[in-house]
Amino acid sequence: MSDYEIIDHEHDVVVVGAGGAGLRATLGMVAGGLKTACITKVFPTRSHTVAAQGGIGAALNNMGENDSWQFHMYDTVKGSDWLGDQDAIEYMCKNAIPAVTELENFGVPFSRTEEGKVYQRPFGGHTLDYGKNMARRACAAADRTGHAILHTLYQQCLKHQAEFFVEYIALDLLMDENGACKGVIALCMEDGKLHRFRGHQTVLATGGYGRVYFSCTSAHTCTGDGNAMALRAGLPLQDMEFVQFHPTGVYGAGVLITEGSRGEGGYLTNSEGERFMERYAPTAKDLASRDVVSRSMTIEINEGRGVGPNKDHIFMHLEHIDPATLHMRLPGISETAKIFCGVDVTKEPIPVLPTVHYNMGGIPTNYHGEVVTRNGKDQNSVVSGLMAIGEAACVSVHGANRLGTNSLLDIVVFGRAAAQRALKTVEKGSSHSPLSPSVTDKIVARLDKMRHSAGDTSVGEIRSSMQNIMQKHAAVFRSSSSMDEGVKKIETITKNMNSITIKDRSLIFNTDLVEALELENLMQQAIVTIKSAEQRKESRGAHSHEDFPDRDDKNWMKHTIMWLNDKNKTKVDYRDVHQNTLTNEVQSIPPAARVY
Amino acid sequence: MKSDLAKVQGLGSAKHGVGHWKIQRLSAVGMIPLILWFIPSLMLTIISGYNEAILWIQNPFNATGLILLLGTIFFHASLGLQVVIEDYVHSEGLKIISIIFVKLSSILLGVLSILCVLKIFL
Amino acid sequence: MADFALPKNSKIVKGIDYPLESDSKNTRKVNVYRWSPDDDENPRIDSYTLDLDNCGPMVLDALIKIKDEVDSSLTFRRSCREGICGSCSMNVDGTNTLACLKSMDDIKGDINIYPLPHMDVIKDLVPDLSKAYAQLTSIKPWLQSDTPASDGKERRQSPEEREKIDGLWECVLCFSCTTACPSYWWNGDKYLGPAVLLQAYRWIVDSRDENTGERLDALEDPFKLYRCHTIMNCTQTCPKGLNPAKAIGEIKKLQLERQ
Repeated sequence: MSDYEIIDHEHDVVVVGAGGAGLRATLGMVAGGLKTACITKVFPTRSHTVAAQGGIGAALNNMGENDSWQFHMYDTVKGSDWLGDQDAIEYMCKNAIPAVTELENFGVPFSRTEEGKVYQRPFGGHTLDYGKNMARRACAAADRTGHAILHTLYQQCLKHQAEFFVEYIALDLLMDENGACKGVIALCMEDGKLHRFRGHQTVLATGGYGRVYFSCTSAHTCTGDGNAMALRAGLPLQDMEFVQFHPTGVYGAGVLITEGSRGEGGYLTNSEGERFMERYAPTAKDLASRDVVSRSMTIEINEGRGVGPNKDHIFMHLEHIDPATLHMRLPGISETAKIFCGVDVTKEPIPVLPTVHYNMGGIPTNYHGEVVTRNGKDQNSVVSGLMAIGEAACVSVHGANRLGTNSLLDIVVFGRAAAQRALKTVEKGSSHSPLSPSVTDKIVARLDKMRHSAGDTSVGEIRSSMQNIMQKHAAVFRSSSSMDEGVKKIETITKNMNSITIKDRSLIFNTDLVEALELENLMQQAIVTIKSAEQRKESRGAHSHEDFPDRDDKNWMKHTIMWLNDKNKTKVDYRDVHQNTLTNEVQSIPPAARVY
Repeated sequence: MKSDLAKVQGLGSAKHGVGHWKIQRLSAVGMIPLILWFIPSLMLTIISGYNEAILWIQNPFNATGLILLLGTIFFHASLGLQVVIEDYVHSEGLKIISIIFVKLSSILLGVLSILCVLKIFL
Repeated sequence: MADFALPKNSKIVKGIDYPLESDSKNTRKVNVYRWSPDDDENPRIDSYTLDLDNCGPMVLDALIKIKDEVDSSLTFRRSCREGICGSCSMNVDGTNTLACLKSMDDIKGDINIYPLPHMDVIKDLVPDLSKAYAQLTSIKPWLQSDTPASDGKERRQSPEEREKIDGLWECVLCFSCTTACPSYWWNGDKYLGPAVLLQAYRWIVDSRDENTGERLDALEDPFKLYRCHTIMNCTQTCPKGLNPAKAIGEIKKLQLERQ
């Protein structure tokens, strides 16, 4: 492979991705003295964490309503439709408090209460006293909380002189013959050179894969590269059928309007002007869990009560809220509504539609962030040298449906946990074992093949077919027949990957090549997503099966794990849901009907 | 071969700059009343002729005003020209020479013009 | 002296014309700066005629449509497409902005797209921002505070103190302002530029930060700070509606106050 110059790097830890999770992990590791490389395909502050709006959940109890992490844990388990692992959820909700306090100490510009504490607002599915009243638990920096957190984490990384490799796209994991991860190979976009990073731990913090869908709130860069790398490394992905639709994506543009806008008093109406959420969720109303609101909106539209000339969307109202409050608490979405739908939120409602927003599924891990897989009877077999955190991981704290504010919490808590774990398990400066050259050759061959592909179908064409199939066949409501059809269509379109063409032959900033690599990643996840969905014969959380409308705890209270081989054939298995808690500070929460 | 950070940090902070900035603005503000006083007076003297102009300068108040104005103008001009040179002249040697030249010329022209006023006044 | 004339190899020539292969009435011509380091060719302007009936409303939508359907070699940065990540900053219709926030309806005639001015170009619309990022690092843009919170929880900050950093922390680091500043064009090696000075002021005015004095010391320099001649291009061009010129003015005011 003389075409490619390979530059070698040796680190204690290699972090792939510089969103909130990657930066929090990098920060913890560098501050603890580990030699850490953080590889990222975009400059850190451009990662999609920056777009998170509403807040980060933590029972700080700043609003004086006797909130506690046990209530937060109950809400999260209930939100997950009892598919979340309760030990991990306990860990997250308990550690939320120090993790968020730490963020403030790092310098995050949180909004403030009169006492000078971090301001907290209500959010969907967050309650007090086990569902009795709505809680104010979302710690917010206006409606740009993700931006505030991401920039602060980057600043802290600068303070600790973390080593960044910016605009490097990770190609594949270096897996040895024993199935242990030894590092990663990445392509430097600026000059087209290959870099081989060796690390005792490789941390995948590569985010979600929202771009398998046509309409999503995710950035163009949300292509789940880490998930696909795990699949190609022979590891399974977990619970990929659970894709969250955010109730309020802007109709048409798909950009996000935070749930915090309903937290500040916004509400939804149908064509009859009715606040229909009162019918579907008498207590929480517009602040029910996202899957519930998205489903209710879809039912309203399907029953002919949508708004607009085609009756195909819903209105969200903010015009009754004091303009000064809108300016202080929701400046970003006021701007977004103006730019993307020409709406003045102080006067008119915003046209919204459920839009793909978050992937609950991902690389299975334990609550330390270590990647696990099922190895025969051992359901929690740790993959040596590999960690996953953030949206790329499935710990699983979100189960079948994530609560708003728990994604920012997830990245911070488990980024921190991964750093703590690495500090315990990695011996600083220890030497790296030799690696067979064939491992590298295989990865370079894949890149070379893609770079020289000269078929007749463009990346854009294949991507758009894939996105349309997923949008149609793995939507808010799914049926056996529709998903069967979807599986067939995806299998057909996957074959087109062999006839892909790349026009740009250069090695310098070749985004044509990068998008092709990303498409291959997306395609592999699309297959696993729709096949995971097709085999789950129940309705739970974000997976609403029209032919099996009820939750079936007896047969399906288990995590799907799915492998994909190099012929794009899948293999399915399951892992038990951890219903045990981590400590005796809290009792396991038994499954119950989910009413908001 | 220097790193980006080494390049941008350069020699650090010169720990001055606010003085220059302040005095440039103060001298500009100071010139406003002087010019408001000077322009109508200039008009009058032009209309009234040479002898009247000499007499006008021989008035101690007018001579003081004129000296203050000339001093401020050349002082302010040297500050302003220094900024222009710093903006556009990037060769260190040429920059220093130009700035010295501007400063010396303003002093020269300033002193010369003030002496002219004094000569008439005395 | 500053170079006022372009070097020979940077003269822009006319490039390839991609006409529209349908008979749509609602069309628009998009002229895009193209340059690749792989050959010795001069930069060129390629022209793409697009059918607006099948294209999103923003300039970024047009670029993505070109890349997906006409010419996949067109290179630009993009990510969030909602104006928060700051990737797609470029010069559109003569003004630096984020392509994702710029509606094509707001532009009369052809849409002319160039990279951010006065930065080295890596390829097409992708500028090299490494110097600007290093300048950001140089002002130590992180909270500097030795006193821990008294109760071991968050540092207290009143809503009024917090309000002082509004309009500063929202910066997305797109560097539209910095690359619109003539002072930065001439002295970008020494002058920090509006984006970085806005960040510097964000920390100077944050009530939790304890190193205000040292921050002001580090900026007191004829070049780092005082190259700002209040030209105001920065404030005029900021796609997020922020006011870097005011922030710079405030820094100067603070330096004056302590004299």
